[in-house]
This record gives sequence, C-alpha cells and structure tokens, in this order.
Amino acid sequence: MVEVALMTALALILSFVSFPGPWAQGGSVSLMMVPIFIMAFRHGWRVGVLTGLLVGIVNLMYNAYIVHPIQLLLDYPLPYAALGLAGLFAIRNRTGKLSLGWALLGLLFAAFLRFLSHGISGVIWFGSLAPDGMNVYLYSFVYNASYLLPEVLITLSVLYMISRAQPEFFNMKSRNSVVTS
Amino acid sequence: MLQNIVIGQYVPVTSPLHRLDSRSKLISLLALAVIVFLANEFWSYLALLATVVLFVALSRVPLRFFVKGLFPVFILIVFTFLLHAFFTNEGYVLFSILGFSIYSGGIEQGVFIAIRIGSLVILASLLTLTTKPIDLTDGFEFFLRPFKRFGLPAHEMALMMSISIRLIPTLLLEADRIMKAQAARGADFTKGTMKTRLETMTAFIIPLFVRSFKRAEDMATAMDARGYRGGEGRTKLRVLQWRLQDTIACIVVGGVGVVLAILRDF
Repeated sequence: MVEVALMTALALILSFVSFPGPWAQGGSVSLMMVPIFIMAFRHGWRVGVLTGLLVGIVNLMYNAYIVHPIQLLLDYPLPYAALGLAGLFAIRNRTGKLSLGWALLGLLFAAFLRFLSHGISGVIWFGSLAPDGMNVYLYSFVYNASYLLPEVLITLSVLYMISRAQPEFFNMKSRNSVVTS
Repeated sequence: MLQNIVIGQYVPVTSPLHRLDSRSKLISLLALAVIVFLANEFWSYLALLATVVLFVALSRVPLRFFVKGLFPVFILIVFTFLLHAFFTNEGYVLFSILGFSIYSGGIEQGVFIAIRIGSLVILASLLTLTTKPIDLTDGFEFFLRPFKRFGLPAHEMALMMSISIRLIPTLLLEADRIMKAQAARGADFTKGTMKTRLETMTAFIIPLFVRSFKRAEDMATAMDARGYRGGEGRTKLRVLQWRLQDTIACIVVGGVGVVLAILRDF
C-alpha cells in the first residue's frame, strides 16, 4: 500500500520531467507510465489499476485541464487505471521470471486502452465544441496518437533498460503485513 | 533542473471560498460543470459569465493565477473560435475575407463556445486554487465511503493519496539529488543522441526507483511498528465540518442552475 503511494508520487514527478512538444490541447510526452507499469508487473493487475487510478486522481488535483464533465472521467482516472491492466499479462515461468514477450504485449494492450479512452474523450468534448460536419473522430484519434506513440516508445525503451539492469524490480517480495504492497 | 517546477496550485489567502468545506466545493463544481452546458443564448451566457466573475471575486485569488490556468487552453479557445467563425453559416454576412464569408451567427457561436470553455476551466481551477490537496482527499474519502460495501477500499485509497501528496516534494528533492550526483559523474541530461539520452535517463531513473522502493519499505515498517491496522475505528487530526456557509453555497449554485434553466432558449 505504501509502495502504491510512493509510486503514485513518482509518476507525478516523472510527469513533470516531460519533453516539451507542440501539444497545445493537453497531453505531453513523459515517463509517467513507467511506475504504473512497474507496479502492474510487480504486483499484478489489481495493484496496477489502483496505482493508475490514484495517479489519475492526484494528477487531476494538480494539473487539471477540464473542458467537459465526461472528459474529466475519460481523461484522468480511467486511462491511467487502464494502464494497470498490463498486469494481466504478467506471466511468469517456473523460476518466477517475467516473460518479456507477454509483458510487451500487455504494455501495448494497456497503452492502447489509454489511447482509446483519451480518443473517445476527445470525440465527446471536442465534438460538443466543433461545428457540425467536422470529422472529430479522425481529429481526436490522430491528435492523441501524436503524443501517445512517442510516449509509449520511450516508456518501452526505459522499461527494457530497467529489465536489463534491475530485473528484480518486476519480482514481488512477499511480506505479511497490512501496509506493505 | 527540477527546482523551478511549481507543483500544486493552492493559493493561501483567506476568503469565503477558502473557508468552505471541501465537500460542498466538490458538489458545487460538479453541479456547475453541468450547469455551464445549460447556457445556449445571449442572456444565459451573460448570467453564466456573471456567476464566474462573482466566484472569482469571492475567492480573492490574484487574477494572474487564473490567467496562468487559462493560458494552455487559450490556443484551444482561439482555434475553436476561428472554426466557428469560418464554418457557421447563420445570420447575415458581416464581411468576406479570402473567399470566406464571416457570418454574424459564426461570431456569436464562437464567442459562446469560448465563454463555455473559459468558464469550465476557471471553475475547475477555482477548486484547486482555494482547496488544499489534503482537504480534497478527505472530501474524496467522504464520497467514496458509501462504495465501501461494494469492496472499494475508501479509507486506504484516501490514505495512499495523502501519502503520495505528502511525498511529492520529498521525492522531487531526491530526484534532484540523484540528478546532481549523476551530473557530477559526467552525465549530461540535455545533450546527445536519442540513444545516449535514454541511457542517461536510465541512470537517473533506476536509482530513483531503488530509493523509492526502499523508502516505501521503511515507511511500511514504521507504520507496522506503530500498530497501524487500517480504517476501522481510526480518528482524524483534521475533521471536515459542514457549516451553514456550505449549505448556503450549495443553494446559491442550485439557484444559478435554476436561473440558467429559465433564461435558456428552448
């Protein structure tokens, strides 16, 4: 539990270490997803989803960017919680080592869910503002892909390097206590 | 590199809005977010604008904080305004430019949408500008409590939120220390190709994770040692208090909703 809290804080901090880009309507490339994925692979999808949810809510309190009630839900708690679902793919072999292929698949799957959430949110709120006849679907999905794609690539390479240098990050230590994990 | 980051938006001044309970502010914001969408013609937008100005004045937060909050959406507002100005063909033609005719209806729609986005952003930032994150967390916990019977760990979530909020500055300091330590060893975070940059990034991120995991473990041990057992029967240092002014605030917000619903053009 304390670990979840720490990782949430870490995700927030990493979101500040972002690469400046031309993304004027929200979203930027940062390493924010790394802690959520580590938690998802380390403790399974439940803890991953919880971490993601908290990251979303705390992020909402710090850098809110609200333009529509439904957008609030689809842009903050949901996409980050969805990232935690990557833990569903945390398949271990007999020695307890994580299967990298499955982990990669899980990461891409979770990132795709996040993309969907942001994309739909964009369609809803931008659709409520844009004049009739404009293709908001195309606009929203292309726009969200433009920052999520580089972010996923960077997250992927950082996670790969971590798995090379510190594979024990992905293995959980069991401990009997209410507060750990 | 990390020092000039300003986190959190809370502005510590005393005002009627600051004194409100975080719960009433959450309810009001939620209601107002829906109310904003009620406005659809001149008078209702005017009423909306007046409400927002009134709340901003009540908050006594210096205006530059709102300007700062509006800056990122400014481009969006201009963009949608132009879209409407060019592509709405209602009303009469005001003037023609580069083969496009600007209609009065387009300008009107553009201004309305700009007010709508602007008020949503300002209202949302009002909440974070006048409420401490920790009070917001307590408010969240209150609203999550009913979901406890469906297995939602309300108290635990609130606790984790407050721990992470508390630790953001601490970890920021730690991140800064690691960056300096690696810089002293020759790491350069600003130069190099994508690949070398990623490698220096890893040299920064791995120690950060190691130290955070360590800190989490120490903290868990400390909590265990002090006999922490979870939410049942725990008392609080800060207790949220619902006062008369909170009821009044909710009634005022409800009143704004009624006024806008009446003014609204069906």
